[in-house]
Amino acid sequence: MTLWGLATLLSLWVLAWIGPAAAGSVEVVDFRGKTVLLKEPARRIVCLIESALSGLYMLGAADRVVGVSSNIYEGSVRPYYEALDPRIRFKSLPAPGNWDFINVESVVALKPDLVILWAHQTEAIQALENRGIAVFGVFVERFADVHREIEAFGVLTGTEERSRELIRAVAQERQWVDEKLQAATALGRPTVYFMWAQGDLETSGENSTVDELIEMAGGVNAFKHMPQEHVTVHWESVLKADPDLIVMWVNAARDPLHILSDVRWRWVKAVKNKRVHELPDVFTSDLWTLKYPVAVLTLARWLHPQAFHGEDLKGRRRAFLERLYNSAAVARVADHVPLD
Amino acid sequence: MKDRHGCDASAGNEAALCVRNLRFAYGGVEVLRHVSFDIKPQRFTVLVGRNGSGKSTLFRLLVGLLKPQEGRIAVFGRDLHRLSLRERTRLLGFLPQHHHPVFPFSVEDVVLTGRAAHAGLVPKAQDRAAVREALEQLGIEPLASKPYTELSGGEQQLVLIARVLAQKPKVLLLDEPTSHLDFVNAHRLMALVRDSLCAHMTVVAILHDPNLAFQHGTDFFFLADGHVFQPDSGRDPWNSALLERVYGVPMETISFGNGAVVVPGDFSKSARP
Amino acid sequence: MFPWIKRAVVFGFPWPIVVLSVFVGPQDSIAPKEALEWMASMMMGAPAAENADLVRAIVWDIRLPRILLAFCVGGALAASGATLQAVFRNPLVCPYILGLSSGAAFGAAVALAVGFLPVYGSAFLFAMAAVGCSYALGRVGKAVTPVSLVLSGIIVSGIFTALLTIVQFLADPFRLQTIVHWTMGNLHNAEWKRVLDSVPLMGCGGVGMFFLRWRMNVLALGDQEAYAVGVDPEREKITMLIPATLAASAAVAAAGIIGMVGLVVPHMVRMMLGPDNRVGMPACFLFGGAFLVLVDDFSRALTAFELPIGIFTTLVGGPFFIFLLRRFRLGWAV
Repeated sequence: MTLWGLATLLSLWVLAWIGPAAAGSVEVVDFRGKTVLLKEPARRIVCLIESALSGLYMLGAADRVVGVSSNIYEGSVRPYYEALDPRIRFKSLPAPGNWDFINVESVVALKPDLVILWAHQTEAIQALENRGIAVFGVFVERFADVHREIEAFGVLTGTEERSRELIRAVAQERQWVDEKLQAATALGRPTVYFMWAQGDLETSGENSTVDELIEMAGGVNAFKHMPQEHVTVHWESVLKADPDLIVMWVNAARDPLHILSDVRWRWVKAVKNKRVHELPDVFTSDLWTLKYPVAVLTLARWLHPQAFHGEDLKGRRRAFLERLYNSAAVARVADHVPLD
Repeated sequence: MKDRHGCDASAGNEAALCVRNLRFAYGGVEVLRHVSFDIKPQRFTVLVGRNGSGKSTLFRLLVGLLKPQEGRIAVFGRDLHRLSLRERTRLLGFLPQHHHPVFPFSVEDVVLTGRAAHAGLVPKAQDRAAVREALEQLGIEPLASKPYTELSGGEQQLVLIARVLAQKPKVLLLDEPTSHLDFVNAHRLMALVRDSLCAHMTVVAILHDPNLAFQHGTDFFFLADGHVFQPDSGRDPWNSALLERVYGVPMETISFGNGAVVVPGDFSKSARP
Repeated sequence: MFPWIKRAVVFGFPWPIVVLSVFVGPQDSIAPKEALEWMASMMMGAPAAENADLVRAIVWDIRLPRILLAFCVGGALAASGATLQAVFRNPLVCPYILGLSSGAAFGAAVALAVGFLPVYGSAFLFAMAAVGCSYALGRVGKAVTPVSLVLSGIIVSGIFTALLTIVQFLADPFRLQTIVHWTMGNLHNAEWKRVLDSVPLMGCGGVGMFFLRWRMNVLALGDQEAYAVGVDPEREKITMLIPATLAASAAVAAAGIIGMVGLVVPHMVRMMLGPDNRVGMPACFLFGGAFLVLVDDFSRALTAFELPIGIFTTLVGGPFFIFLLRRFRLGWAV
């Protein structure tokens, strides 16, 4: 964990003692830098970010959720949430908005005491705060931000103990992967090109969860030298970087097969050696929740298969998810997802 | 003998333009009624009338821009409205009014567009030769490469006339061709029309200045009250009693040599302004 | 300046630009020397360098199709712009005015959102459809006046933009981003397949406009003036709008919406060579093509990442246009 993350944890811990003791109130600083103040732990939460919602389920605070993001019902994440929550199975949980469009009236009608939104959704945030509703703005760039988010949610819902437990679980999983990779990475780190679904040339630079993912999985980001979190690079730069392995984000339009047969990619090492992979599933590969070690594990196995020889990685994944969500049902859904 | 329009159709005597029983109303107002006349080929015919007498309307009818409610117009025996645009352009040429130049084309390029009915997609040598000829005829050859937008009003008008000449129509219709020309150039143009153009084309001009008309024209018609009148044959046109009808003012005639000029007389006796 | 100097510049400048562009690339890519060596080895059978594969991939698979596409797109847009400015006798007209860009954006968005439609074909068809609608709407009685045509173009544009917004609303965030990226104009996904799909269409449009270039002079003097010399203005305008729309639609489908080229390049050419379209039309195509190639060279070499090319067309084209404006008079009587 970074120094900064540690400092935040410390100050939150102090606050956790002083705050409630002082006035029985709950106070955190969100990702905008704004102090979010509640009189008591949140009881009616509207969460319009799927990854944040995931965190609430992990904390066991889902019973306090009264409104969710609409893509819970639409996307590939639906089976998981149906397994987690009968309300979603029976479509009884309202969905007043998503990442882009928010129906402020519908949100207000749910009488929330806390709303969780992206920090850049300034218009909606302002509309809600003007009505006296507390808003927590989220912005994730690195894994430390994910940790910080879960800690903040722990404070906001009075489940700090659980949040610490979750972070411990993640640390243990990371440590396990690190140990497995020690020998392999000493021999060298393959260059990895990460491809977002918007286009072949869309990748991430240094300050990103993608970069950390690659690093933790025992590789090195082909575009580490670019400072941007999300960037469109030149074809020539990709060819010059000549990555050893290409990993694609979950992509409906293109498959590794397309890349392997694409004229422009054929001279790249990764294509010549047929090392092109696609992350299998949005829910399990999510880089914005504490599930990120699953993605790390998946990528690590592609990068250094010999380091995981003989390991039951599917079983490992199942156990980890079960631990995070306290639910065997969710883990069972994940079992349908191949490790490739 | 007469054809079905009632026009003179005997060989050699065929009218260049034959108008019969033309009637035109505009928004309920009758502008022209019962207009009939013949334009003889290879003559310089002038239609004389005041502004507002329906001159421009008659012009636009002759050219095919307007359709009459009643009546027939025939060009060399062929019904004007049955001709295709191309055929009509080869027979009839006219100067449009109120030209608003937007692009600074060279004079040569402007005149070259007159060849559109002949040239097809790209003008050839013969088209460029026709342009040269037209420019020389009007004496504006030195202006050939100058941008049209930089010329004076009079020069621009000459360029547009050159454009119509380049078109080489059989009948040339000019509506106030001297409106921007100065005194001498106006007469010079009219003299040119009579002397050189009439050799191989028929020219019909509409003028409001009777003296310009009488000095250069060969045949005359008068336009008044929505009718076209022909002066009595055998008499000089400036002696016609129709003049007073056309201008609403008794006219004084001043003779010189073979011709005469007319000048408005006593305005107190005028019928209308 | 002597007219022949200006003509030499306008007609001569594209070729060296196109050739030299092959050697331009981002800083972290191959050096020009390497490209030159590779070309020499291909032509003279000299032994290939170690990184021949890489150089070949870059020069042949990446750079060449991109340069060709940029040239054709720039040329098509400029020629289209010149045609439309002549047809409408309006200096503020660009190829997108009849709803072409909104139609194309909508077509592309639909294809990107559903996933199984070809983006190029969809964008192209809807671009043509939008112009067709504008034309049909713009008919007041028998005649189509420039004002009515432009007004109906604005309406049709608005409708397609609204439809586009609906598609964006219904699409998921990743596809939404792809749609937005598409509309901003991009050449970075240029490949031989796209070149072969779009260039013939742009070529047909270009050839059509080339043949009609003198007739544009006739039309440019005015509707009545055209009628006077035997040209039916309405028929002529449709005849000219067809190849112009064809070329511009193909260009937009291939490279998204790139501004400035269609509006400003015809002015630049007119300022340098005069309004005669016999010279101006081919000049617009060549100059527009070279202009976009040059601008794309900037965008490739300057930044390590891809930026929408529209940014560069304005940054490069703007100052050049201002320079021309001060040097020569605007080729238009305003």
